[in-house]
Amino acid sequence: MSAKQNSKKSKWALDFNVSKNADMPSPPGYNPTALVNQTEVVRDQRLVIKKSWDLALGPLKQIPMNLFIMYMSGNSISIFPIMMVGMMLIRPIKAIFTTQVTSKMAEGAQGTGQRIVYILGNLANVALALYKCHSMGLLPTHASDWLAFVQPQTRLEYYGGGVSFI
Amino acid sequence: MHRPLHIAGGLISLSLLLLLSTCSALYEDQIRKFDWRSTHVGAVKQVHVDLNHFQPRVLLSTHEQVVASLCPKSGEIVWRQVLEQKARGDIKLLQVSGFSDDSSDTAAAPVGSRLGFDMLTIQGHAPALVRGWNTNIGTIEWEWSIIPLNTERAQDALWFYSNSVLYHVVPVWRSHLEVTAYFATSGHTTGTTSKIMAAWIKTDSCLLSGTYFVCQDGKQLISLDLLAKSTQVIATSLEAEPTDKIEALAGLNGVLIANKKLVSVNKDQAVCPELSSASYVLGSFNYRKVVAYADLADGNLKINAVYLDNCSPVPELQMSLAFAEHYGTPSLRSFDCKLKRNGDGKSCLFLFGTSAESIVAVQQGRVRWAREESLANVIDTQFIDLPLADTEGTLENEMKGKAVDANNLKRDIVSAFMRRITTQALQIKSLFLHVIGLGPPPTDTQRAGLVRDSFGLHKMLVLLTRTGKIFGIDNIAGKHHWKLYLPNVSGFENAEEMRLIVQRSSKHFPLQPLCAIVAKFPSSGNGVLFRFNPITGRAAEGGLLQLDFQIKQIALLPETEKDFVKGILMLDATNKVHVQPKHATPLADGMYLYTANVKTAELEGFYVKHAGNDLTCTPIWNVRLGGHNSEQHIIGVASKNPIEHVHSQGRVLGDRSVLYKYINPNLVAFVTQAPDATHKSVLNLYLIDVVSGSVIFSMTHRKVRPPLHIVHSENWLAYSYFNDKVRRTEITTIELYEGNAQANNSVWSSLQAPSMPLVERQSYIIPTIVEALRETITERGITNKHVLIGTASGGIVEMSWHLLDPRRPISSTTQGREEGAIPYIPELPLPTENHINYNQTIARLRNIYTAPSGLESTCLVVATGLDLFVTRVAPSKTFDILKEDFDYILISIVLVVLTSGSLIVRHLASRKLLKQAWK
Repeated sequence: MSAKQNSKKSKWALDFNVSKNADMPSPPGYNPTALVNQTEVVRDQRLVIKKSWDLALGPLKQIPMNLFIMYMSGNSISIFPIMMVGMMLIRPIKAIFTTQVTSKMAEGAQGTGQRIVYILGNLANVALALYKCHSMGLLPTHASDWLAFVQPQTRLEYYGGGVSFI
Repeated sequence: MHRPLHIAGGLISLSLLLLLSTCSALYEDQIRKFDWRSTHVGAVKQVHVDLNHFQPRVLLSTHEQVVASLCPKSGEIVWRQVLEQKARGDIKLLQVSGFSDDSSDTAAAPVGSRLGFDMLTIQGHAPALVRGWNTNIGTIEWEWSIIPLNTERAQDALWFYSNSVLYHVVPVWRSHLEVTAYFATSGHTTGTTSKIMAAWIKTDSCLLSGTYFVCQDGKQLISLDLLAKSTQVIATSLEAEPTDKIEALAGLNGVLIANKKLVSVNKDQAVCPELSSASYVLGSFNYRKVVAYADLADGNLKINAVYLDNCSPVPELQMSLAFAEHYGTPSLRSFDCKLKRNGDGKSCLFLFGTSAESIVAVQQGRVRWAREESLANVIDTQFIDLPLADTEGTLENEMKGKAVDANNLKRDIVSAFMRRITTQALQIKSLFLHVIGLGPPPTDTQRAGLVRDSFGLHKMLVLLTRTGKIFGIDNIAGKHHWKLYLPNVSGFENAEEMRLIVQRSSKHFPLQPLCAIVAKFPSSGNGVLFRFNPITGRAAEGGLLQLDFQIKQIALLPETEKDFVKGILMLDATNKVHVQPKHATPLADGMYLYTANVKTAELEGFYVKHAGNDLTCTPIWNVRLGGHNSEQHIIGVASKNPIEHVHSQGRVLGDRSVLYKYINPNLVAFVTQAPDATHKSVLNLYLIDVVSGSVIFSMTHRKVRPPLHIVHSENWLAYSYFNDKVRRTEITTIELYEGNAQANNSVWSSLQAPSMPLVERQSYIIPTIVEALRETITERGITNKHVLIGTASGGIVEMSWHLLDPRRPISSTTQGREEGAIPYIPELPLPTENHINYNQTIARLRNIYTAPSGLESTCLVVATGLDLFVTRVAPSKTFDILKEDFDYILISIVLVVLTSGSLIVRHLASRKLLKQAWK
């Protein structure tokens, strides 16, 4: 039984472990040191920095657009404004949590600065969304929002009586 | 410019009204599902039983000013006519043609002829209305009236009927009698009014017996035949001075009942003077006149009869039967006999009116039917939770046991677990035994179906009536489970009725619930307490307890820890306090009491202190509302329901800030009225904190008069009155607010009360006459409050507080709209779909009582008057249970289909995947 399985396994399985760490010989005529062009490298570096700054400033650039959407959607509570606000709130939060992944794409000298800018931009977006929530009345910031939790006053005095029976 | 805005506002308000008005309507198939009505006629005044073979009938007039016809077989109402209220509808005479004495047989004219009549009634004195009735269907066939020249004298007027002629007898006390004769059916006078000099007539001691006017004077009866040619005064002496008032024996001319004996003042009419009985009635048997009499002895009712001509007994009419105690003392009112179907002998129907205001029909030695007419005068009601089923009771007990020994936790968990296992094993065992039919016999209450339901909607409705009869009625089926009669108790002075108090609720299993009635002993004026079990209707804790002091006011104390009884604190005439039961005395420490004197409009506050073993009661404040010339009288006092819970502590405004409610549990509303030179009548409203005695708010209405009805709840007050100036009924509503902050958000003390509240007020016109006002109440107070308005036409309208809200804005501002307030319209709508009793009119609606059910959404309602109506309302709809028309089958089918479908589809999908993988 097991032999049969083994034979099946050996028939279909590819064993990648066999030559994983073994150095493969380079193809003939290949010189790894010959290809590196110094200027190209510098230009790429600059491009990467520029690209990653673009990425880092993305959230900030979104703010005017978001403001416009906010203005257009109004303060009424209905499905579309709620969806928009929800997206506006969730997207930057998600982005903040995935900063690590995003910033891996652009690692360089200005990496930390970009990261900070990126996070700040997203935070600004969150703040904007929260402001929108506030102006729509979705945040429990008023006393009336906590009214249901106000306990009734306990009574200290009890009375009885009424119209005299005699 | 402003026009479009107004139209928009109007549209908004209209749509809001439409939205609101659809909320409480009943569907057609829900009729009589949650509600029932019982109709009554009231305590019997005059009754006539007629068992002829064509149309057997029982015709009666009652003290509630009702004329009715009952079915002699079942006692059901064939027809009922509720006459006018007060003196105008007071029935003076009910005359059925062919009844009365032999001489009046001329009245028996054929039906439909204009000369005769079937039945006539005379009611009122100014005008006196004479009405002829069709006894088959209860319609008025003709009517005539007289307006007496002197209204005051006519109040004591008496009527008698003889030979198609009605005689109107107006006594002018200590002077003379004025007798006028009218043709019964037309109202034409037969001649002039004759004056008969009679200086011996005195108020309260005279009556008419046939054509004789009889006055009692000590041991003598002085009488006069009003139809005799010569006005000869006849004096008849009695053996002893009568202890009770003398009565006339209907049907016999000049025969009276004095000292339980028959006395004749008519020398042509012989009686049987040796008879002695509490009640007599004249009838006929075998074409001979018969006097039947009935007495109660040792719980047995004995009926006897004698032929009038030779005083020999009638053995056919003799009977003796057990007579239930709760009917009270019976008095025979009428009887009639008919041949039995099979021809052997006769069967007789005896009709009794009893001291407990029941109408009892006795036939063939047993009670054929009985009507509980004391229910026409219900004065207090309570809804009592039903007891738990035994198995649930043990479970409940287990829960309690856990709470008690919480200190030794570790052992407790094990023991509690064991206990739980054993109780559940017992439950299974009892269920098994029950299934195979070997279980213990169910208890009385279980057999009667009196077991608590899961929603607490099924309760025992305890009703206290004015005669002192108490009823335990199933609030869903309307069945009378038990009846109790307390003779010799009465209500208090100042029109204060007896009180029904719940001393212990059903929550404390295995202890039984306990109710108490606080009343007055009429002969001594001292207080009486009667304790009973409201589920079984049996006396408890010794039953009747006669107190040796007069009760001035009462208060309910908190529960004792030992037996969970709420003690009754009583203030006596000398301002001393007493507690019943005695062991609850320490709990009276720190109680406040107040009394209101209605006539002088004076309020007095007391503080009760427990020192040593004594209770002291110190007067601490008094308030005089009598005005500068003491003309004001208190006409209304309204306190809040002590079991009320207020869930929402404030009101959200348009700008999302909170306006906190001024919820003062010690606030009581007093309304005084006084005549006024310029404004005819002035009504003053005072809101007074009865703990500190401070006047929180006062308001004056000019040109306004009663009827006044008040409802006071949470932070609001609504009261209805009649506006004399514009002649309409109005409702004024008041709301009290503390402001934007609470002075103390944890405790309320009237002695350190916040500053004066903000008061919002508004008046509305209600296009009906209000007879009763009551707010709905629920368990936790989360559900909206509606006001139930009982109208004079016998309807109950459920009015949302949104419509009565004093913050309804005059102009349609955005702020008001955001607050959810409807723009102010002075007229309150009364849509028919808001009548919770749809077409079940409640005759003479007098009061509405509400009680919470086990469901937060639902409030139990009982409306009393001549009729009794029990229902339930859900002010915010039944948000906590599925609708009764919820389609369980459809839902389960859909669920089953979906689950099985998804299983099948999964299977198919995996097979398909496998196949694809092999391709």
